[in-house]
Amino acid sequence: MAHDLGFWTLQALNALQLSMLLFLLSIGLTVIFGLMHFVNLAHGSLYALGAYFAASLAAVGGYWMGFFLAPVAVAGVGILLYSGLIKRMRKSGPMAQVLVTFGLIFVLLDLTRIFWGDLALAIDVPTLLGGRLTFLGVEYPTYRLFIIVLGLAIFGALAFVLSRTQIGAMIRAGVDNDAMAACLGINVERLFFIVFCLGCALAGLAGAVAAPLLSVTPDMGLQILIPTLIVIVIGGLGSLKGAIAGSLIYGFVQTFGAVLAPQLASVLIYALLAAVLVIKPEGLFPAKG
Amino acid sequence: MLETRNLDKSFGAVHVTRDVSLKLERGERRVILGPNGAGKTTLFNQLVGELTPDSGSVHLAGEDVTALPVAKRARRGLSRSYQKNTLFDGLTVEENLGLAAAVHTGNATQLWSDSLAKPEVREIVEEVASQVNLMPFIHAKVSEISYGVRRQLEVGVALATRPLVLLMDEPTSGVGPEMSKGFHDLLAGLPRDLTMLIIEHDMDLAFDVANTITVLNYGEVVFDGLPEEARGSSLLKEIYLGSWEDA
Amino acid sequence: MFRHNTLRYTALVLLAAGALFQAFTAEYFGLEILTEILILAMLVLALDIVAGFGGMVSLCHGALMGVGAYAYAVLSTKAGIALPVAMAGSIALTGAAAWVIGAIGSRSHGIYFIMATLAFGQLAYSYVFEAPLFGGDDGLGGISRLDLSLIGVDLNNSRSFALFCLATLGAVYGASVLILRSGLGRSLTGVMHNEQRMRALGLTVWRVKADVFGLSGMIAGLAGALAAQHIMYISPGLLSWTVSGEALVVVILGGLGTLVGPVIGAAAFVVLKHELSSVTTYWHLVVGVILIAVVMSRANGIFGWIEARWGGVFDRRLADATRKQEPEEVLTDA
Repeated sequence: MAHDLGFWTLQALNALQLSMLLFLLSIGLTVIFGLMHFVNLAHGSLYALGAYFAASLAAVGGYWMGFFLAPVAVAGVGILLYSGLIKRMRKSGPMAQVLVTFGLIFVLLDLTRIFWGDLALAIDVPTLLGGRLTFLGVEYPTYRLFIIVLGLAIFGALAFVLSRTQIGAMIRAGVDNDAMAACLGINVERLFFIVFCLGCALAGLAGAVAAPLLSVTPDMGLQILIPTLIVIVIGGLGSLKGAIAGSLIYGFVQTFGAVLAPQLASVLIYALLAAVLVIKPEGLFPAKG
Repeated sequence: MLETRNLDKSFGAVHVTRDVSLKLERGERRVILGPNGAGKTTLFNQLVGELTPDSGSVHLAGEDVTALPVAKRARRGLSRSYQKNTLFDGLTVEENLGLAAAVHTGNATQLWSDSLAKPEVREIVEEVASQVNLMPFIHAKVSEISYGVRRQLEVGVALATRPLVLLMDEPTSGVGPEMSKGFHDLLAGLPRDLTMLIIEHDMDLAFDVANTITVLNYGEVVFDGLPEEARGSSLLKEIYLGSWEDA
Repeated sequence: MFRHNTLRYTALVLLAAGALFQAFTAEYFGLEILTEILILAMLVLALDIVAGFGGMVSLCHGALMGVGAYAYAVLSTKAGIALPVAMAGSIALTGAAAWVIGAIGSRSHGIYFIMATLAFGQLAYSYVFEAPLFGGDDGLGGISRLDLSLIGVDLNNSRSFALFCLATLGAVYGASVLILRSGLGRSLTGVMHNEQRMRALGLTVWRVKADVFGLSGMIAGLAGALAAQHIMYISPGLLSWTVSGEALVVVILGGLGTLVGPVIGAAAFVVLKHELSSVTTYWHLVVGVILIAVVMSRANGIFGWIEARWGGVFDRRLADATRKQEPEEVLTDA
């Protein structure tokens, strides 16, 4: 092919940026599943809410107000969902959980339409992160680099928290065996609550950082849901390693697939997922053996 | 009829089955005794194929079945019951037995006929139901019968595949002594040509049924012989009865 | 195990009578709605067979229906194959696709199975979306309905087409009952209750799952071929995962594992959708709230609730069963 090295660097950066966005979403979903065995199909809707909150807040107090407060607002919605629905659905089977959260997608979708209307909202990149930077010999939008750095930073922080802190040890114990963790005196219910809220906040953060890149529409949550689910199924439910591996695989297959085999690009990732399910039905890095 | 040669299995550092060689003749009724954690159930799981041994082989009716999956071994006549009830909970006693009989008679994958209505299936269901005293409960759901009756059904379901070899994992586990005695009379009344391998905890009850006894300790066969010899064996008293009475 | 009882027979007779009344009295719009209900009912029967009697909760049945619709459209318009053959071909093709999905998914359980089926559904969706043969985003038009002029029926007439779909639904219901009462269907229910034991009894579990999933796929394919003939135009949106999600919603709304319930659910869902969307653009909100309420109420959908409440009036056996199941709960439901 006639592409030079700069072109491939650019594609790699694009892939990395997509991966990091997906990582922010999938880490919450996967740890919630690993810990609570709860499948939240409405996770994508929380991401959409994050984008809407960020857009509204940015209109009032600028980008950074949205960036910092949108995750808090989404975590607030998460608290409502947890105490209203999810706590009661914890012991139900996967089908009931899938259905309730599927219903929740409908509800949240129409609520965003009622509050914000059907038209797409736009939000500007903050001046601090505007423009382009020369990086590895290519010019790349600073804001996209910011997303990559942010994703990596959060991955680093979570890896540190999970492996080095007491709450991380509690979460790992809970993922491994929640009954045993409860016997060891860990307040599992409170742990669930904290992790759920944190997962929601990260989904809100993903929405807030994605908002300037994409237009903010009511169905953006539905569009991101399937890629997020693919990430966690390929990576293996419940693990940080799985979430980052799955995100990178998705980001790179999708981006490079679109360049190298445009006709097959969208099918490629599903075929890969099918292959993973055949060979390792529990994903590449499941939290439990 | 059923034979193992040098069966060996470890989980990490724990050696659960050590070089186990057993040989059951046709119609033999062998009881496996051993304290908790002696590796009895693990041995069963390797016999039926739910676990793969690290080395050694399992032979059924003269054929090496070590590489065969669970279902194929079952179709060749190896059937088991579980220590913890493993029944079709939402279904009736009749349906539980019928599902097993349907597999045995080749009706379980038929699309053109109702397996449970087939005469050959009904015949097995009725025969097994009377063999293990389930006739009075035949139309009751599993959720409606008592624990003791469920234990009978557990063995009944295994019997309904008309096996050559029947493996029973503590068939009387959790039922009272009086009922256990009745249960053992019931087992003693099963057809003479059926080969049986029974895991049992209670030694006295084991002597009711067994014509040979194997004792496992730490995954190893430490005794293999007749019940009379077992009763008198001092080695056995030491490792099995000793630990039993101390506990 | 599937069983008919007096309440189920009564419901079936009432449903058939209602459909016939609608088919003979309704005008164009009413007939369109009836046909939509009948086709959705076939799809949800297919889904109830695997989900309600096999524990295989599929999120790809909408996509399977789409495969049937596209297969019929492509075979009849592009390949120029005779319509009845195209119809049979689309059913066979969808069945084969479903068999493969069932075989691959047979190792996965619970949420993993749901995700696996979702993946395969999305695979079909993206492929149809991308491939030029299928018209991409624009979809395919010019699809013809079967020619039944030999027996004096013109399916281009909405009333005739509705009656044709009603007859087909009747046949599909009969076939579903036969599948569930066959050795294969019995074994599948055994697998749902205890897969480990069925395997220990000598059953090749993956084959049973794949076979029934394939049969269910054939029904979904039939529904798809009829949907293509009904609207005479198809687009990739038919294969979207939300269609599969809605099918699951209908099964749950009606009553999982009752066969009759999902048919009632289909009627309720389509009518509700049309009534609500004429009043508000936010009808998804109402459907979402109803769905959450039904699942959280722990009743087995509309028909499950009716059976628990009034089944005893018709059947002694059911009456006994209801009395045994937490009588207080039955009372507080009123």
